[in-house]
Amino acid sequence: MGRFLARRLLVTILVVLVTSIVAFSLVHLSGDPAVAMAGEGASAADVAAIRTLYGFDRPLTVQYVAWVGKVMTGDFGRSYYLRESVMQVLAEHAPITAILGSLALAFALLVSIPLGALAGLKRNGLVDRLASAVAVTGQAAPSFLLALLLIYIFGIRLHWLPISGNDTALHYVLPAVTLGMYATPALLRLTRSGMIEVMQSDPIRTCRAYGLAPWRIVIRHALRSAIIPVVSLAAVQFGLMLGGSIVVEAVFSLKGLGQLAWESIQRSDIEVIQALLLLTALVYAGLTLLADLLNALLDPRMRLS
Amino acid sequence: MTLVRGVILAGMVAIGSALPGTAARAGKADDTLTFATANEVDTVDLYYQNLREVVIISQQTCDTLMYRDPIENSYKPLLGTSYRWIDDKTLEFKLRPGVKFSTGKEMTSADVAYTFNHARQPDSGVVTRLLVDWIDNVEAPTPDTVIFKAKAPTPAAIEYLSGITPIYPVGHYDSAPTVETGGKPRRDYGAVLPVCVGPYKIKDFKPGASVTLVKNDQYFDGSPKGKPAIGTLIFKTIPDTDTQLAELVTGGLDWIWGVPPENAKQLAETPNVTVKAAPTTRMSFLSLDAAGRSGKNPMQDVRVRRALFYAIDRKAIAQQLVGEGAEVLTAMCDPRQFGCTSSGPAYPYDPAKAKALLAEAGYPNGFKTEIYAYRDRPYTEAVMNYLRAVGVVADLQFLQWKALRPIMEGGKAQLAQLTWGSQGVLDASASVSNYFKFSVDDYARDPEVRDWLEAADSTTDPAKRKDLYNKALTRIDDQAYFIPLFSYGRTYAYNSDLDLPITPDELAHFYRAKWK
Repeated sequence: MGRFLARRLLVTILVVLVTSIVAFSLVHLSGDPAVAMAGEGASAADVAAIRTLYGFDRPLTVQYVAWVGKVMTGDFGRSYYLRESVMQVLAEHAPITAILGSLALAFALLVSIPLGALAGLKRNGLVDRLASAVAVTGQAAPSFLLALLLIYIFGIRLHWLPISGNDTALHYVLPAVTLGMYATPALLRLTRSGMIEVMQSDPIRTCRAYGLAPWRIVIRHALRSAIIPVVSLAAVQFGLMLGGSIVVEAVFSLKGLGQLAWESIQRSDIEVIQALLLLTALVYAGLTLLADLLNALLDPRMRLS
Repeated sequence: MTLVRGVILAGMVAIGSALPGTAARAGKADDTLTFATANEVDTVDLYYQNLREVVIISQQTCDTLMYRDPIENSYKPLLGTSYRWIDDKTLEFKLRPGVKFSTGKEMTSADVAYTFNHARQPDSGVVTRLLVDWIDNVEAPTPDTVIFKAKAPTPAAIEYLSGITPIYPVGHYDSAPTVETGGKPRRDYGAVLPVCVGPYKIKDFKPGASVTLVKNDQYFDGSPKGKPAIGTLIFKTIPDTDTQLAELVTGGLDWIWGVPPENAKQLAETPNVTVKAAPTTRMSFLSLDAAGRSGKNPMQDVRVRRALFYAIDRKAIAQQLVGEGAEVLTAMCDPRQFGCTSSGPAYPYDPAKAKALLAEAGYPNGFKTEIYAYRDRPYTEAVMNYLRAVGVVADLQFLQWKALRPIMEGGKAQLAQLTWGSQGVLDASASVSNYFKFSVDDYARDPEVRDWLEAADSTTDPAKRKDLYNKALTRIDDQAYFIPLFSYGRTYAYNSDLDLPITPDELAHFYRAKWK
């Protein structure tokens, strides 16, 4: 286990280092950060003043090494645009994305696991067709379309739910459903196919031969095996959600990490971009590790290997 | 995708129309006007951010020495009561007595001198240098007298001191945090929350999210801005236009701008929502490499440049594509700017003449070129279609502004569609002079034009200035150095309970708003 963790840590460090160099270079190669910071209404003199003030006239390597040096001391720098420390900026935006991602994943799991399991048990039945319809709709409908439809029905027509901001818990309902619907199809299909496969397996046949109650076979034995791949996929989906959904956050005006990343790229807020990359890489690494541990808990064979 | 969104949006607006009774509008009931745009605001200090949103917020909270009445388009004394030019480079202001900052402290000439002497420093980090670079020093000989010493005659000084250069109390920036950028420490002055004299004062500011302003009950009598009528103003950032529209229809917002032309008509039919369009100072134009900065190219021939001018139906683009509020530009400046007159040719849409001129220049079958652009791709595509019709095939290089800017500065673009808002300054020195005084943006490099503009920018005699700008603008038009296309319009949509003037300065003067 110790070697496994060490290897995973080394890979994470390498990934973070490479992505940060690539991102740093791309931000500079895609245009002049001083121009982005000065804004469209700035004159050439305004841009020149900002270039000097923020040190963008120094060689790229010098700028990168200076950033790495600061990060090694725990200083992630300061957002050029938001005028706050990067840690403070992340602390303000991360909880919104974390809440949204958690609620969206919860929605996706609550829909996909029962529906997928039932669909797998009753192949080609009504529930299976319903599950298929949900999967196809969730996969085919772009997030913005679903978001606007939900706003139209629940915000404008029924006046049940607020449509923008994050002032109350109710503000998260529509964005969580929208984002959750993105993850649902894959989880649903995987649960369904897992269930079909498991129900035809020898252990389940043995359970039936022993005369165990059908519900007990499904809940205690079949479902447990069927959701092993679902756990891994859910971890990846959760990572994606924690990376922030630009579209969902933009439509529902949530100031989460997705929106922060998009805005920071637009205005070349380099230190925020770098910190976001670092955070995303760490979250992915953490979630992948968590998925491995959960799988080991669910499947004793994995523990042994 | 746009079509799908349009259909959904049409549904939203239609439902909003059908539910007048259920869509309770909170604004009037709680005396709070909530407005939103897509931009995040990082600071509300106008010296450190040039977004139009910040100009709007600053004009509610921070008075300036002079006030440009947006309806009458005339200058009126605000924190100053009068001014006079002692000589070409010395401007004296008398200040309004008994005026207090929102903290209760009385404003004096020391505060004015402090503000400008801070801003004029090269390392102050002020983002719009044009507004303060003309100042050599500011003195406060008596509590009600301020003297500006200019580096050179600056006829546009009164414009710079009207609406866009707020006054802060002495020591205002003392609390600015020290931060490190570019490997060296500097003071982040923009992080200090403004304290001003103004109709409103800042109650709460969440960078990137919202700003809450409340009525300043101590605001002085006799201000040309008038006393504010609405109790609270809230600015919010809502990135998505469709969400802004939905919030407006359902009563969550009282004012938005930038309503897409395809939605404006339908939105106007919604009860409780008023839709109005107005021109802005942002102009769209084609930059042609007449000077050959990018190397030998067809744009160096005046007949080619004139041909391109004739080839484009600017009226059709402005009216049918850009939409309400847009106007055809006749010169490289905004018609509301001081000195913006040209006696050059009008270049009506005439593709036959364009083809004839191209043939005369040795391009009977046209030619191929690249066109750079960074904003409003459909407008550039319309220009390309007109050019293609006369044989000029332009390959579109559509880039982000931060990528295009270095290309323009480096003199690498034969043809580019650009825009410029004159930094909100209503003086021709902020538009035409920005492009034709041999700066990095100058693709004409005409010494005669440069000399006229240099003289116009530093002459205090208004009549002489107008004449000099006219000479420069006429030559620019005659030589077709640049092709002015259109000025942008802005479509505003707001709560019909609001009585609010819509002005052609791309601003919202909420201090003049009241509930009906």
